[in-house]
Amino acid sequence: MKTVSLTIDGKEIRAKEGEKVLWVALDNGIYIPNLCVIREALQSPAACRLCFVEVEGKDKPVTACTEPVIEGMVVNTQGPQALRLARTAFELLMASHPVECAHCLSRDSCELLKIAPHLKVRLKIKRLRGLPRGLPIDSSSPLFIYDPNKCVLCGRCVWVCRERLGIGDISFAHRGFQRVVATFGDEPMARARCSACDECVTVCPSGALCFKDGKGPKEELNRPVEKSKS
Amino acid sequence: MKVDELSTITAAFQGIKERAESRWQKLWHSGQPVILVGTATCGRAAGSLEVLQTLRDEVKKQSLECQVIEVGCMGYCYTEPIVIISKPGYPSIAYGHVNPVIAERLIKEFILGDNPCLEFVIGALEKNEFVPSFSEFPRAEYEQKIILKNCGYIDPEQIDHFIASGGYEALVKVLGMPPEEIIDEVKKSELRGRGGAGFPTGEKWEICRHSRGRPKYVICNGDEGDPGAFMDRTILESDPHSVLEGMVIAAYAVGARYGYIYVRAEYPLAVYRVQVALRQARELKLLGKNILGSNFSFDIELFQGSGAFVCGEETSLITSIEGNPGIPHHRPPYPAVSGLYGKPTLINNVKTLTYIRHIIENGAKWFAAIGTEGSKGTAVFALAGKVVNTGLTEVPMGTTLRQVIFDVGSGIPGGKCFKAVQIGGPSGGCLPESALYLPIDFDSLSKAGAMMGSGGIVVLDEDDCMVEMAHYFLEFTQWESCGQCTFCRLGTKQMLEALGEITKGKGKIEDIDMLAELAEDIKAGSLCGLGKTAPNSVLSTLRYFRDEYEAHVKEGRCPALMCQELIAYYILPKKCERSCDACVGTCTVEAISPNKDRIKVIDKEKCVKCNTCLVACPLQYNAIVKFSPPDQVPASR
Amino acid sequence: MTKEQVNHIQETRRILKQFSRKRGNLIPILQEVQGKLGYLPREAMLVIAGFLGIPAIDVYGVVTFYNQFRLNPPGKHSIRVCLGTACHMKGGYIALDAWKRRLDIDSGETTPDREFDLDTVACVGCCTMAPVTVVDDKPQAQVEPTKVDGILLSFELEKEKASKENL
Ligand SMILES: Cc1cc2nc3c(=O)[nH]c(=O)nc-3n(C[C@H](O)[C@H](O)[C@H](O)COP(=O)(O)O)c2cc1C
Ligand code: SF4
Ligand code: SF4
Ligand code: FES
Repeated sequence: MKTVSLTIDGKEIRAKEGEKVLWVALDNGIYIPNLCVIREALQSPAACRLCFVEVEGKDKPVTACTEPVIEGMVVNTQGPQALRLARTAFELLMASHPVECAHCLSRDSCELLKIAPHLKVRLKIKRLRGLPRGLPIDSSSPLFIYDPNKCVLCGRCVWVCRERLGIGDISFAHRGFQRVVATFGDEPMARARCSACDECVTVCPSGALCFKDGKGPKEELNRPVEKSKS
Repeated sequence: MKVDELSTITAAFQGIKERAESRWQKLWHSGQPVILVGTATCGRAAGSLEVLQTLRDEVKKQSLECQVIEVGCMGYCYTEPIVIISKPGYPSIAYGHVNPVIAERLIKEFILGDNPCLEFVIGALEKNEFVPSFSEFPRAEYEQKIILKNCGYIDPEQIDHFIASGGYEALVKVLGMPPEEIIDEVKKSELRGRGGAGFPTGEKWEICRHSRGRPKYVICNGDEGDPGAFMDRTILESDPHSVLEGMVIAAYAVGARYGYIYVRAEYPLAVYRVQVALRQARELKLLGKNILGSNFSFDIELFQGSGAFVCGEETSLITSIEGNPGIPHHRPPYPAVSGLYGKPTLINNVKTLTYIRHIIENGAKWFAAIGTEGSKGTAVFALAGKVVNTGLTEVPMGTTLRQVIFDVGSGIPGGKCFKAVQIGGPSGGCLPESALYLPIDFDSLSKAGAMMGSGGIVVLDEDDCMVEMAHYFLEFTQWESCGQCTFCRLGTKQMLEALGEITKGKGKIEDIDMLAELAEDIKAGSLCGLGKTAPNSVLSTLRYFRDEYEAHVKEGRCPALMCQELIAYYILPKKCERSCDACVGTCTVEAISPNKDRIKVIDKEKCVKCNTCLVACPLQYNAIVKFSPPDQVPASR
Repeated sequence: MTKEQVNHIQETRRILKQFSRKRGNLIPILQEVQGKLGYLPREAMLVIAGFLGIPAIDVYGVVTFYNQFRLNPPGKHSIRVCLGTACHMKGGYIALDAWKRRLDIDSGETTPDREFDLDTVACVGCCTMAPVTVVDDKPQAQVEPTKVDGILLSFELEKEKASKENL
């Protein structure tokens, strides 16, 4: 595989040609907010719209999780246009996410709490309306709680359940604003085929799926990969 | 291609063509009258099936030697049901607003007698001395029918009609050409995709041809989700073989083996007629294995869409054929490189594919001579809203909006004033009067803040509220968002909430700026075209009609007297006629009663603002008015 | 399992005979089954998932995504108010309000007695007759609030007549 050189935020980096900008940045210690992409998956759904960066020569920001690196590329993760989009996207998510961090069982592992300061966005969004979804909280499982109102629709739980475990008990259902991670027939988790392996809980970045005791392991799906010396 | 293969093809087609022509001749030149009834969806909705039945019954009852056949839509939807009678010795005459009673008269007086019933005539198809012909109508000066040419004149369920009028000749011609040459011809014609975005068709074909991966697919996009447009449906219902021929040619050019034609299940008639057309084309070996005896094989399957606007987006449409929710994905890869089942897939709109046979037959030069610098050929529009002649029209690119609305569409009904035109459906925008002189093409419209989109044109008059209009389109796109990406799922919802409050007079002045900012971000940040274009209706109305937004917010007033929460109905005591009580009985919630002077009074608490009374009040009194803001209504005594 | 459910499963199996076990057949299968049963009951969705060898949630995901599919049995009469652009401008929303008021249900719902089903459609292609309401698959022209009452009255009368005849 050919390697190319590029710069991200002024830092000179060598990377595999065609690798996505997001992974190259993360592996080189440059954080770009992301929720919906999974390194092991073939393709990014590019759905959360948080990973916008600016690339020299392109007039509009691009999503880092879909943009392949090429020789001589100049990437700026802090460009004003890209930040504006990432911020708006994050604000939109937060405006329909119940912000009750004080009682939230996931506050220690919450990725939203990590993204907010990075983007310099406050948790309570003033310029937007609160758009609660008003969905019932599912605490049917003995181990975990599923609060779909907090879900950011990143799809990690769906991917883990389907691709890694080969179960496929949960997935996206409904459309548009009603889109939600659900079981067949929108049934409580405990009644579905779910084997309560709680793998989905370990990857949820948002507190939508959390252990009843607030403890339990958390897995960072997209952790940086050690650079192999070339 | 080898010479003997070519001669097999030509010979095979010759036989088909002769048979079709002799049937066509027999239909038109046997000395018997022929009656055509428009039974596309628009005709059916207006009752054309009853008319058809009456005509058939009458013909039988009177034992007439006369053919009654079904045809598609001519585009004069405002005067459906339409019947065309072609009687030897007369020009072919089209009748409008035909009902069973008129149908019976037409048989008795015109077919049996000699009275062509001029009172029901819309026009004649050919020039003559009796009746004005369509070509003499003022709109004819602006219209140029290429892809609508057959619509309404041939029976879509008879392949012979299509072949006799020159159909499938382009296919025969291309089968003797190297694919590169066909692509070159399409490129030279400068045809741009009619699905909305206007991507150069020849270029797309070339990319697909050069893409590795087998088998390749051709998909015809007939999803047409714009709630106010129906041209693709009309073409599929009125002239389905034109589309199929375009698909086969495209398949040959890019090297595809299989095709899909994606039609909404809500268009049952289009589905049916496409199925019939596919069967007939297969029977004549114009489709399937070894087309016309050549080495080229291509077959088409019909896929019925399940009603999601986003499935018109190409990547979403493909996932939907694969059996999934129609969720778009990031491009690249483009379908021409990696589409259906990961294989190269050419996806074109119904209209785009319909142009192909004409371009092949008449040459790229002919096509490129029509239209403007950057947009060649014609544009098909569905005219709706406050315009006299609703229906379809086809005009050369570069025709101005004024010509389309006032010359083809005959202007605004009821003596009202033009206010704006919404063009391009949910992806498009509203343009003000100053845009009337704009020559319509892909580039001029985007520059003005609208879009060619689906080609829906909605004319708005002084009674239409621009905020409400923006709300209507945004409500549609918001509801139809797939919900995958943040901007579109949550951003359009935010905008809709804000707009909703503005139409209720509860908006704040900051909301207007918030709307504008959010709209820009949604445009730039959404994943697919639905989200990227959804804010257009808001952005364009903000650009041209900001004062209306401000009136709603600052004064709680709807200048067009449309937003229900901002108006009140009131009966002017001076104008109300004591002896009349037309409004009292019609009020659906019994909100109107006479006071002691027998002047009618509306109970504001009860009134649901359904507008019934205003319509019911006789014109000579015209006593009922709307006020905005509602507290303008004088207190009743 | 109720008799109805058994029947649904049998009908679904019968329909499945025409199809191969290809994921791409999911939507055509659902269309056929709904065409037969009027909606997509739970048990039918499970049979289809088993037939195609896909998780049941995938079937549910498709069914809940598209406007065409329904999870509940339809009412006896279907009322579909056109909210296409032309109808909207001629007061389609006012007609919808009138239907909602009279039937006392929201759009997308069925009356408790399962007599009526209220929904909206986008452009049925008869814009000149706006505002249009499609009543039991027949487009009705100029359905303004008074006409709504008229249509409902005619259903009422029909029902009365039918019940008298049954006496
Ligand atoms: C939300 C959305 C809806 C669309 N709807 C349609 C449609 O109904 N018909 C269509 O042909 N193209 C539609 N398109 C455009 C298609 O994605 C695609 O560009 C087109 O089918 C390509 O054909 P063309 O090159 O012939 O224009 C839509 C695009 C978007 C983003
Ligand atoms: S529940 Fe958690 S992991 Fe699953 S989609 Fe929602 S936020 Fe992502
Ligand atoms: S822009 Fe809208 S429709 Fe398109 S992918 Fe995003 S959410 Fe789905
Ligand atoms: S990580 Fe790129 S869009 Fe979600």
